[in-house]
Formats: sequence, C-alpha cells, structure tokens
Amino acid sequence: MSLLSGSLTLRSAPKVTPEEFTALREFIYGLTGIDIPAQRQYLIENRLGPRLGELHIPSFGEYLKYLKFSREKDAELKQLFELITTNETSLFRDTKQLEVVRDKLLAPLLESLEKSGKKELRIWSAGCSSGEEPYTLAIMLHELLRVKLMSWRIDIMAHDLSPAMIAKAQAGVYGEYSFKTTPPDILDRYFTKRPEGFEIKANVKRLVRFATLNLNDQAAVKALPRSHIVFCRNVIIYFDTEMKKKVLSGFYDNLVPGGHLVLGHAETIHGVSRVFTPVHHPGGIVYKREG
Amino acid sequence: MSAVRVCTEHLEPGMVLWANVSGMDGGVLLGKGAPLSAQDIGLLAEADIPWVHVQRESIADPREWEERTCLEYVRRFFVFVNPDEPFFIQLFRVAVRRVLDARRHGFDLRCADEIQARNVEHMSDVFFRNDLTVDKLVLHETQLASFPDIYFKLKQVIEEPNSSAREIAQVVGSDVGLAGRLLKLVNSPFYGLASRVDSIERAVSLVGSQELSTLALGITTINFFKDIPPELVDMRVFWRHSLSCAVFCKLLADYGGLPRERMFIAGLLHDAGRLLLFKDLPYASVQAMLYARSNMLPLPDAEQDVFGFTHAQVGQRLLAEWNFPEAIVAAVGHHHDAALTPDSAEAATVQLADILANTAEISAGGVYVVPGCSSEAVASVGLPLADITKVLAAHDAAIDELVKALL
Repeated sequence: MSLLSGSLTLRSAPKVTPEEFTALREFIYGLTGIDIPAQRQYLIENRLGPRLGELHIPSFGEYLKYLKFSREKDAELKQLFELITTNETSLFRDTKQLEVVRDKLLAPLLESLEKSGKKELRIWSAGCSSGEEPYTLAIMLHELLRVKLMSWRIDIMAHDLSPAMIAKAQAGVYGEYSFKTTPPDILDRYFTKRPEGFEIKANVKRLVRFATLNLNDQAAVKALPRSHIVFCRNVIIYFDTEMKKKVLSGFYDNLVPGGHLVLGHAETIHGVSRVFTPVHHPGGIVYKREG
Repeated sequence: MSAVRVCTEHLEPGMVLWANVSGMDGGVLLGKGAPLSAQDIGLLAEADIPWVHVQRESIADPREWEERTCLEYVRRFFVFVNPDEPFFIQLFRVAVRRVLDARRHGFDLRCADEIQARNVEHMSDVFFRNDLTVDKLVLHETQLASFPDIYFKLKQVIEEPNSSAREIAQVVGSDVGLAGRLLKLVNSPFYGLASRVDSIERAVSLVGSQELSTLALGITTINFFKDIPPELVDMRVFWRHSLSCAVFCKLLADYGGLPRERMFIAGLLHDAGRLLLFKDLPYASVQAMLYARSNMLPLPDAEQDVFGFTHAQVGQRLLAEWNFPEAIVAAVGHHHDAALTPDSAEAATVQLADILANTAEISAGGVYVVPGCSSEAVASVGLPLADITKVLAAHDAAIDELVKALL
C-alpha cells in the first residue's frame, strides 16, 4: 500500500506541553548554558522526538525524569548534547582571521617568549568541534618554529561539549571538504592519505590534548592551567547574555595578563563585557586582557 | 539493470553498488556488485561520501522506498513549523507529492552532506560587528548611493493623483529597459489582460496609474542591486525566489481583498534587506546562510544570532528611507512575524507567500527550511486549504515566463 494513500501527518513526535518545554529548557540551560528560545519548540520536538521513540518514552515530561533520575542519565545526557548542539567548524573556517592570529598574535608572542627565555606556550581551544581549529593552530606553530619547535613546550588544550566531536577530533581524519582552502604543500607535509580521508600526522597530533568540557561547569574551567591565547569561535552565539558573561569571565581568569581572546568573526562581546580591550586588525578583532 | 542515485543517508543494507566507490587515496573504498552491509554504509558516511549509484533491482520495494525517502526528505524542511496547523499539514502533503513527481521526472534529492562550499575568504565586511545597527547600515547605503532619477519622477507621479496616462508613459518611456519589462509583465498570461498591450499609455489606462507606477518602482529596485558578487549568492536564484513570492502575493491578495500590484511589489521586494546585507556584510551574510543551512534554521533566526537583527528589519528601514508606500514598508518589515503588527493582513500575505515560495522550491533543489508562521497570520490571509494546490499550480504556470520577462 502506498504511504501516500492514507492521510499523511506532519507530526512525527509527541507534543511537548508548555510546562514540559519550560522545564526542559531550564534543565538544558542550567546544564549547558544553551538557551532554547520559545520559537524553537517544534525544532526540539523534531530533534528529540525520535530519541523518545527509541527509548519507548511516551512524553517529554517522562523524558526529563529519565534525564534527571535514570541510572542511564549520564549516557543519556551525552545523547542529548549531541542532539541539541550543532557542529560546523569546517563551515566557519575563517582563514583571514587565522592569518591575523598567526601574524599579529602568535609570531610576536613566540618572539617575546623566546627573548624572555620561557619557551612555554599554552593555547586553549574552547569549543573545538571536530578538531580543525586546534590542529590548524598546531600546524601554524610548526610552520613558524620549524626545527626550533623541539626546544619548546607547547600545549594546546582543546575542548568540546560533545563526546562524538571529541572522538572525531582525536581520530584526526578529515574529508576533502575540510581542505577547500588548505595549500597543497601544507596538506602534503602534515597529512597522510588514507582511504577514508586525510589523517593528521603524529607530530601535529601530539601538540593537542582533547577532552570533553562543559563551559558552564565553573569548577572545571577554573581548574584549567592558564593560557596565552583562548579561542572560542562560534560557541557563545548559542548563549544568552547571562551565560555569555559567565563564560567570558572564565576566559578572562584563564588568560595570563596580556593574553588574547579570539572569537568568531561575526561574534561580539559589545554590551556584554568591558573587561577586554578590543584590538582591531584588518581581517578581524581580537580581545586583549590588559597586563 | 539500471542505476539509481541514492543519498548515503537513504542507503539500506542489501542494496548493491552499481560502480566502485573510490576512497580519498584513489583506491577502491567499496567494490561494486556485493550487497552493502550496515558497516559498509557506516564507512561511506564516515568518508563523507554524499551519494552513490546502486542497482535499482537491488532495492527490495522500490516504490515504497522512494516514497519513504521522499517523505523523510520533505520532513526535514518542515521541522520548524507547527505540525498541528492544518495549513502546514496540507502544505506538507502537497510538497511530498511535488518532490515525488519531480523525482520521477529526474530530480535528484539533495543529500544531507551536499553542502556547497564556497570560497569567500577574499570578502571583507564594511562594518565591524561591534558597533553595527540597522540604522547605520541603511544610512550608509542611502547616503552613499542615490536612486536613478526615474525613481523620483515615478514617485512624483504616484503622489500626484491627477497625473495623466500620457505623463506617466513619458516618465516610464524615458527608460527603455524599464518600459520593455513593464510591457512584458502586463502582457504575460499571468496578468490576464484581455488584449495585447503595446504601449505604456495603454498599460496605464488598463492597470491604473498608481498600480503601474508601483510596478515600475519595484522593477527599478531590481536594477539597483546589480553589483552583488556572484560567488556570494546566485542572484538569479535570489530574484527567482523574490518573483515567486511576488506571484504568490498577487494570487493571495484576492482572498483578502488586497490591492494586487501593491502586494506583487511587496513580494518582489520582501528580501530587499538581504541585498543590503550582501553588499555591506558579505562575509557575515555567508556565515548566516551557512549557519541557517547547517542547523536547519530559518534564515531570520540565524541572522538574529549572527547580526543581532534580521533582513526584514533592514528591508523595512531601507524601503522607508526610500519613501516606498507605507503599506509595502510594513509588509516587508514583518514578513516573518506578521502576527506582531496591528494591521497585519498585508504582512501575513507576504509571509504566507514566502512560505509557499519556499515550499515550491523544495522540489527544485531548495536548501532552506520552511519558516514558521503563527496560526493567526495563516487565518488572516483567508486561503482555503483546498486552494493550496490550485495556487501552486497557478504559480508554476507563470513563473518561468515572468523570470524571462523581468530578470
């Protein structure tokens, strides 16, 4: 029988009641800082609905109980994060901004650190998605330092909320699509061709430490070692003002005096935080923590 | 035996590859001829291979599979609308039939991974995101560039109700391109005039002076935005969507007893704000579009996140600055939130027309989700559910010729 002969319905998920939506919204916000606006109610139904089906849970109220009290709640939270967060690093690759980072931040920083005799550099990639950003930074450092790299202690901490993204980042294998703007010689030097894609080489990989981290977890953020540069591109876009403030103050505390924060090209902290000094470069703005 | 193109997300174990699939290193990732296992399908997804060719004969129940995958495909475009609103349920059914039809006539579904990547790195925005407001953006534009003279002459004509057909014809006739397009427009079957019109003067007397001048204003605006970089956005696709929306506006105008030409122009210019964003914030515009596409968000939602305002607000301000008739300005400004305006029939008409245009585009490879719309706005347009198919058919019959006439 044809699927179309019956009366086709558009609803494919249980209906979320206003109370359930508010409770779910508050729960997700409290956990991740991600605020789901009211007009995305149908999107939430559509994204989470199939998961309810898999678990044979009849309503969103029951699902919330499952998230809070079930024995499987930790595993389920990971699933939930997967469904509500989005990942688009490769789409947001912003080479012009990265050139600013290389020429205006990294190069002078390496020089001054070398002069002061402290050849230690730490970068924090907060919201690294599938790893393109921290690997790009590691490659930049290789290119800038070449053989001198061996005498440096370099630590790139890379975090994401999503365990699936961290797994993908750790594997370090990327499809052709990720290399649209990569010069061929870089591809040759730092990647190995495999049937399933290009794999990042071990000498780049070892500069980066991946882990899952929730930026809303203030204790975990406080426990991180301090960094010279913090990257957080296209992450705070999901947060409301309250949460943005919280996260930005975490970055401020993490940065060494004189350190820099790099946000996504289209993001702003205007009206949210005054503690950073914006530094305009052609190609992008970076934010400085004054010394 | 025949081959059929299947998106990786629609592959099922047991299907047989029609040809070898190569891996990134040039070697064979999966060989043809053997039935695919679940692991094989996982491997294809891992390797970001958007689609493959499989043997049609290896699909267990091709008809059922085709319908199911079309259903799944169209559903993706409707994740943002109220699934209990009868209008959207009906629209969904119509869209599924259209996609199924198109597919049987050779339309390939756009696979989930087939996101177009464009190199936009050379573009730079005029503004830093820090201090950007709608006002700054619009004033920068209107102070910098001026509209062609003919625009102001037309404005005068519109504001002077006693202008004669001859006077209007003289103004319009001074721009040969404009006059030609206007004649093509009023002579199109969509316009439904009984006899052929071969002079602007005659067009004025048949269509009305206010109406014809409004049409002329709209067409002049198309010309104004000619210098958008083609790699940023395909302007033909953009104007085709605008024209689709205009056609739907005119068709819907009858249900609410609204002036047709005015609605046509409101539809044609409903996305004018996007043009300004392309011009001055090309890089951020692309980010907003990619953000919308990769997250299946309606564009205004993505813009709100990226810019802090939407193209509807920009369009409203721009058209107000250019002194367009107030009803058009308000309708353009609220074409994504019609219910929020007090006198909302016009805005609701543009909003619904935009939704119909988006729906029509699904079966032609469109990539944007259908934006939501409040039930009040849907109701205020007065389109009976039974007429949705009819309106879409009327649009389909008219659109290609209008694109030729006006673009």
